Amino acid sequence: MSKDILRNGDVLSGAVLAALGVYIFMESRHWVYYGDDGPGPAFFPAWYGVAMVVLSLALMVTTIRNRTKAEATDWAGVRRALVAWAVFAICAASMFWLGFFVSFAILTFFTVAYVFRQPPLTGAIIAICAAAGFYVVFPFALSVQLPTGVFGF
Amino acid sequence: MRRCWVPLLAALALLTASAGPAQAQFKPVRTVEFVVHGGPGSGNDVFARQLATIIEQDKLAPVRFQVVNKPGGGSTSAAGYVVSKKGDQHVIACFTNIWLLDPLVQQAAVNRLHDMSPIARLVVEPALVVVLADSPFKTLGQFIEAAKANPGKLRWSGGSITSRENTVRQLLMQVTGARWQFISFPSGGERLAALLGGHVEMMIVDPSEAGEQIRAGKFRAIAQVSERRLPGFQDIPTIKEAGFDIPNVPQMRGVVGAPGMSAEAVAYYEDLFFKVSQTPAWKKFIEDSQLDGEFVRAAQVKPFLLSFEETLRDILKVAGAKVIR
Amino acid sequence: MDIFSGLLHGFSVALQPANLFWCFVGCFLGTVVGILPGLGPAATIALLLPLTFKMDPASGIIMLAGIYYGAKYGGSTTSILLNIPGESSSVVTCIDGHAMARNGRAGPALGIAAIASFVAGSVGIILLTVLAPPVALFALQFSSPEYFALMCLGLALVVLLSGPSLIKGLLSLLLGLWLTSIGTDLFTAQSRFIFGQPQLLGGMDFVVIAIGVFAIAEVMASIDAGDKARMLPVPKGLRNLLPSWEELKACRFAFVNGSITGFVIGVLPGAGAAISSFIAYGIEKAFSKHPEKFGHGAPEGVAAPEGANNADSGGALVPLLTLGIPGGGTTAIMLSALVLWGVKPGPLLMTESPDVFWGLVASMYIGNVVLLILNLPMVPVFAQILRMPVHILFPIILGIALVGAYGVSGRLFDIGLLVGFGLLGYVMVKLKYPTPPLILGFVLGDAMERALRQSLTMSQGDLSILVRGWISATMLILAIVILLLPLFGRFNQARMKAIAEGG
Repeated sequence: MSKDILRNGDVLSGAVLAALGVYIFMESRHWVYYGDDGPGPAFFPAWYGVAMVVLSLALMVTTIRNRTKAEATDWAGVRRALVAWAVFAICAASMFWLGFFVSFAILTFFTVAYVFRQPPLTGAIIAICAAAGFYVVFPFALSVQLPTGVFGF
Repeated sequence: MRRCWVPLLAALALLTASAGPAQAQFKPVRTVEFVVHGGPGSGNDVFARQLATIIEQDKLAPVRFQVVNKPGGGSTSAAGYVVSKKGDQHVIACFTNIWLLDPLVQQAAVNRLHDMSPIARLVVEPALVVVLADSPFKTLGQFIEAAKANPGKLRWSGGSITSRENTVRQLLMQVTGARWQFISFPSGGERLAALLGGHVEMMIVDPSEAGEQIRAGKFRAIAQVSERRLPGFQDIPTIKEAGFDIPNVPQMRGVVGAPGMSAEAVAYYEDLFFKVSQTPAWKKFIEDSQLDGEFVRAAQVKPFLLSFEETLRDILKVAGAKVIR
Repeated sequence: MDIFSGLLHGFSVALQPANLFWCFVGCFLGTVVGILPGLGPAATIALLLPLTFKMDPASGIIMLAGIYYGAKYGGSTTSILLNIPGESSSVVTCIDGHAMARNGRAGPALGIAAIASFVAGSVGIILLTVLAPPVALFALQFSSPEYFALMCLGLALVVLLSGPSLIKGLLSLLLGLWLTSIGTDLFTAQSRFIFGQPQLLGGMDFVVIAIGVFAIAEVMASIDAGDKARMLPVPKGLRNLLPSWEELKACRFAFVNGSITGFVIGVLPGAGAAISSFIAYGIEKAFSKHPEKFGHGAPEGVAAPEGANNADSGGALVPLLTLGIPGGGTTAIMLSALVLWGVKPGPLLMTESPDVFWGLVASMYIGNVVLLILNLPMVPVFAQILRMPVHILFPIILGIALVGAYGVSGRLFDIGLLVGFGLLGYVMVKLKYPTPPLILGFVLGDAMERALRQSLTMSQGDLSILVRGWISATMLILAIVILLLPLFGRFNQARMKAIAEGG
């Protein structure tokens, strides 16, 4: 029972948001709440911080009291999504060194070959075509600047 | 035909001689990045693009000057970018007052203007103090008297706490002991609308914007924020002439290079922008936007920036902003 | 010059071959810029500005205005097809537009967006033509208390955007309010919640958050769902690519609502197109006979916000052309363009430069027709994009999202934020927190805090300033009524239940 409650997404997210609300409120204590000329920078955050704590506690209480059962989660799907996100995040970070086109090609390759389980050759072809296509549209035709890396493109 | 060359050559020789210490050994060899702190279309962006266009049209430089927008956090993104290009001879930026102000009030704004390589100050923007045309205030003195009689009842619209509007207000309140409210609006349009709608009593606005409203009979100028009277507003007194002895708060724009730029490169850019300031296109731009186009050279810019920062720091402290540097 | 002869004069200017050409160029560029992320109308206008110096001011403003309102036409395309809002004004279109695409109605959604844009855009220009001076005076009546009330009214819409759990909707809204306060406080230069990051001093950009929470989260959710939802259905046949008669009929009220709401809010210098599209959507849902369909692909949910953001362009030109007050980023550049051409924008523009004023107004009538002709035939073409296999489509979505986020201000930091907000959006979808309230809070929160603080500074802390004017009082009461509606609903339900059980 108690284990179920802890696994419940509503209770967990409620707890996280309550903590965020407390953080917002505590942070706002450092600033002026009401200055000489009117409300200060702490005025607004203090109020929505408190509101956030109240509402998230309400969410937790109603969930626990109603014993709302969370729907069964397809953890395999979640894992797939998180892997895809991790690939996205790593490629985004690598843009600092590799520049947009190399990173984007790698991202495309991994998305096609691993997330969608296509043959690696298909992945490589799509990756190169996509990167080239983006190059033609953005920097070439529209002269939009994209991140450049150590290679200078 | 041949005779025409002689005076021309003489003039050319004179010009190179008058450039004096700016004997430029340095020449840019690749595209120069011209960093601005606003997004495309912001005042600073338009200003920098105007400069770049003149350099291109009059072929004053062997390479292109490309405007690079680094908006975000006032001037902090742009200043951070310039400092990250330390020692690069091909990175310059267009600075304004905010480059001095941000490090004074923001813990996270660590890059200071005078640690970079100041090249020149190009313009100072004067401003007008205006009221609605049917306002009872005919002079700045009358406004101040009314503010003394009703402390906190009168209102100015303006930008942020570090803006010139607030700085002038703080200085005036200091010398007169009067007190009135300052209402911050993020955009110039909203400030203008607040006065036009009668929701505030007064504002400080640049002359090109105010000029049209005055001509249409909506606004009346009662003082100008400037060292001397503007050509278009000869009968409006400066704040000092109106009887309030406060230092002038210049709103400036100029050019600064990446930190560690060589003296030759600084001299080259200084000379280049001096040439720009002499072009007819630039003179027309200065006249149309009613700016003060006095060119201040690199050697004088740095001491000026240091002393001006001192003034701003004092003003900000009085204004109640948390000054951290 | 009265309106009729003015307009006649305007058409004689706008119909000159050169000006027709520039109008077409502007509309075309605007559409392209609106469809592709990474280059907004403001940036495009700034880049093209030097090219227009040699042009006649009338031709110049006709072209730049074409870019401005053309971009809003194009903005809906990526929102509907890929759930990527390219401009701030097309975020709301994502909600029902992309839902329609998922139901296999991508073509009709694009068609409705184009027709709504045309209708509302034209209404906006008609209103601009006949009502400009009086409407401008109305806009000046709006002071900070009125803006505060308007933002409250907007925030009250959260009730309509929340879905089954109101608490979760409100929490999502509060999260948005928090995110919008990150950055430097305008009034005191105090930095808030920046975690020592100078990049956060200027706050976060709304487009980055919206792309992360909508597009990236959507891609993740689709990958999560796996084979069950591999492809978006795109039925064959032209009939299924254009809106049906029933769908258009359902949108009748939405066209009117979008036109008027967009124009009225567009006139206010302190409110942007994003706000007008949110409010038009809210009104549409509040008065709808079947509000439960909203969020699941209701055509009215596309027509109202798309209409509003196009009528907004007409509205935003009112203060610019009659008073010399720029409303937002793009109109501010147009103002500086006018100055550089030697035209003096201000209250006298209409009488002193009738070529510019009436030429522009007339060209906008023409431009709207041009845009409809440019956009409608593209609908079937664009709808085909969804036929691509997902393993090609998804990388393209990710790429466009990256370009769009980077294009906002050209820093890698925004790409980092995009990655983070993608995860946040996915977690919210998984835990059934609605995401539109977060965006709503982010858009309105900042303006609301500002208006409240301005009001209280004006009145030296006297709260009664908020209800002194009839405009603000009415809007505040309306906001409270909307907020209390669900409570009454619940109370009613409980009473019914009690009666049923008792009987």
